Amino acid sequence: MKEIYRPIEAIIEDVVEETPAIKTFVIRPKEPFSFRTGQFIELTLPGLGEAPFTPSSDPNIKEVMDVTIMKAGRITSLLHEAPARTTVGIRGPYGKGYPLEQFYGKDVLIVGGGVGLAPLRSLLYSLFAEIDKYNKVVVRYGARTSADIVYKRLIPEWEKKKKVDFVTTVDVGDPQWKGNVGLVTTVLKDLPIDLKNAVAIVCGPPIMMKFVTLKLLDTGFDPAVIYLSMEKNMSCGLGKCGHCRIGKFYTCKDGPVFTYGEIKDIPDIWD
Amino acid sequence: MPSVYYINSSNLDTFISRLQKDFAVFAPFPRDSQTTNTPDYSYRRLNNDDRVTFNPYRSVEPLKTFFTNPSEKVCDYFNAHPPGPSEKQVVILGVKSCDLAAHRIQDYVFLEGVEVDSLYSVRRENTFVISGDCTLFKPVCFCLSLDILPHPTSGFDLNLSPLNDGYLAEVGSAKGAYLVGLYEGLFSPAKETQVSARQSKREQLIERLKKHLLPQDIPAKSEFQKLVREGYHSETWQQFMLTCVECGGCNLICDTCHCFLLADTRESTGFQKVRKWDSCLYANYARVAGGANPLRLRAQRLRNRFMKKFDFFPDNLGIPACCGCGRCIEVCPGKIDIREVLKDLAVKAKARQ
Repeated sequence: MKEIYRPIEAIIEDVVEETPAIKTFVIRPKEPFSFRTGQFIELTLPGLGEAPFTPSSDPNIKEVMDVTIMKAGRITSLLHEAPARTTVGIRGPYGKGYPLEQFYGKDVLIVGGGVGLAPLRSLLYSLFAEIDKYNKVVVRYGARTSADIVYKRLIPEWEKKKKVDFVTTVDVGDPQWKGNVGLVTTVLKDLPIDLKNAVAIVCGPPIMMKFVTLKLLDTGFDPAVIYLSMEKNMSCGLGKCGHCRIGKFYTCKDGPVFTYGEIKDIPDIWD
Repeated sequence: MPSVYYINSSNLDTFISRLQKDFAVFAPFPRDSQTTNTPDYSYRRLNNDDRVTFNPYRSVEPLKTFFTNPSEKVCDYFNAHPPGPSEKQVVILGVKSCDLAAHRIQDYVFLEGVEVDSLYSVRRENTFVISGDCTLFKPVCFCLSLDILPHPTSGFDLNLSPLNDGYLAEVGSAKGAYLVGLYEGLFSPAKETQVSARQSKREQLIERLKKHLLPQDIPAKSEFQKLVREGYHSETWQQFMLTCVECGGCNLICDTCHCFLLADTRESTGFQKVRKWDSCLYANYARVAGGANPLRLRAQRLRNRFMKKFDFFPDNLGIPACCGCGRCIEVCPGKIDIREVLKDLAVKAKARQ
């Protein structure tokens, strides 16, 4: 009998502190486990509960998987206290993930906000792995302050990659920060992309996604090429438990990535 | 092989008592039948000396209670566990047409989609559904408004229709044929006159139910989706939620509601995932980590319930997730009546024109 809700055992192998509120957990599953970029997993603290996360590592690396987690609720707070060697459970992967083939030959604009860069990191690795298939990759990343920037150790490498244009901005500057200051929408002007041959992928807090989407529409992006990561309460991951409904969709099985075109007529999508 | 048989009353008693040797048999029994002529019927497992009475209308419990439980283990994890003893095959008597219609929703959720819920499917396989025509209705019954007839037309294994001195038993599936085959001597092929007697009884009840519903002025089923969509910003939600006490009773008693939460527990045998029925009227239903909650207000949650029933399911399955059983009306301490909500949406839609 197939047990569709049974998690497999995994070990937290390492914990990397990204910011005071965000940690990346390196997780080694004890059974084969793989995912496509943009798909999510349910991460279980044995006996305590589970929560959905999108892995942030390269999907081509099968042995271990990174999950970057912001301390926000009960499970994430417990996870932040978990040391390396903690046993956890994972189940999934769930959802459809990013349709990479739709991005082939295109200018790929990636807009991230805060910890929303986590799923996008996995997407970046997928793009880098086949960079010849894409025209260029333009990343615009916004964090609240310089202390809130995730993957500080990795961004300099990404900035140097061929065909990649990576710009970071912070909402509020400080004396140490020499880069852009302003909301992420302020670095969406004069984008080095060909609008007729571009797609945009947005991930961040709902309020950020809303204003980025409005900005992109204003810039001339078609709703059908704006890809959004929707955040909803997801329990089962399989379209059965009912919680993550938006309109006629379930975020877990029909998403979590939707084009704006698919969901724009559903009321209150940003709530 | 005919599909409709006749069985006399004493043979039906024999049939039911023999079924108990091979199956766990559940039937609805009247409650407080001494004090009222219209008792509620409630399910329990049959004991040997029980005499089953034919329930004239649906039971209190929704049919879903036989297939998912309010709280139950769905799996152990990290430790291999030998499979438990297989559950005995179940026969459910007294199922009504509304229950069968609702069952289509539960089947869609648990048997279709990206994965089959094996716990549900095993129980489904293990269960024989013996339904029956309604011969009366409750004041809250409004199946006809959903284009559901008060007698089963599909989805049953065997359906019983009372005649004067016995029953017609219609076979609706291979499992039904199997049951009849097990106790062949008790059944005889139905006569043409008996089938037409069944038909006229059915038509009489439909007429009576139509008369009952006519003054209620419930909008037509074909209007429901339009009403909830166009009534999204209606005052209706705010107005009707005023008496909602967030008990979740409407969800838990609803034969089509299926929402659940997975929880984790630690037992002496190891870790378990536990599935618990959830209610979209509860404050935390849609809350995410960090506290954001798209269904923060009770009016939003009441609207969500209606959008799910009358917009989501028509879009995905082609039918609304309501069977007109009226259980949510009976259970609601705030007297929120699904018929009244639909009517109010219709009235306000008309006023907007």
